[in-house]
Amino acid sequence: MARINDVGGMTGFGVIDTSDDAEPFHADWEARVFALQRALLVKKVFNLDEFRDAIETMPPQEYLAASYYERWFHAIRTLLERKGVIEPGALDHA
Amino acid sequence: MPDTTAVFAPGDLVRTYGHDPVHHTRLPRYARGKLGVVVEPEGFAPLADVRSQGRDDAPVEMIYAVRFSARELWGEGDHEVVLDLSQSYLEAADVR
Repeated sequence: MARINDVGGMTGFGVIDTSDDAEPFHADWEARVFALQRALLVKKVFNLDEFRDAIETMPPQEYLAASYYERWFHAIRTLLERKGVIEPGALDHA
Repeated sequence: MPDTTAVFAPGDLVRTYGHDPVHHTRLPRYARGKLGVVVEPEGFAPLADVRSQGRDDAPVEMIYAVRFSARELWGEGDHEVVLDLSQSYLEAADVR
């Protein structure tokens, strides 16, 4: 199935805003999500392809409404639940 | 150790697969069923389509840089797009 992330060549999204690209993170939680993802990859809790898959399989309306690191957090939560590392729902209000 | 040997060489004509897989893949929709030219082999890596399913039996395949004309991808334009594509995404192609 085609997935919502796969929009190469699609028009209508407007101009990509690169004005604040010098700043990698826009909040502390984003840096923590980034670090958590790296740690979980190194610990082999999941691999990068599983992580990408978990982002791509977000419900399309959620994917489009989410920011970059919100998508990362969604994928981490999804994979930790799927692999039994955390109880389902444990991070729903994080 | 790679599970496959490299089968394509620079300059080879290849066509990408044309179907829509149910799993994760690294071939974007806009490049499916398209004719391209191999630029060069880039190295071996586990096939993401299998590895994304949490399996540890993903075949290790050559990844190739493959060049496509804008006209082939979009039906217009004069630029080119180069994609990194796993060997099993590709089949040898003849000139149309």
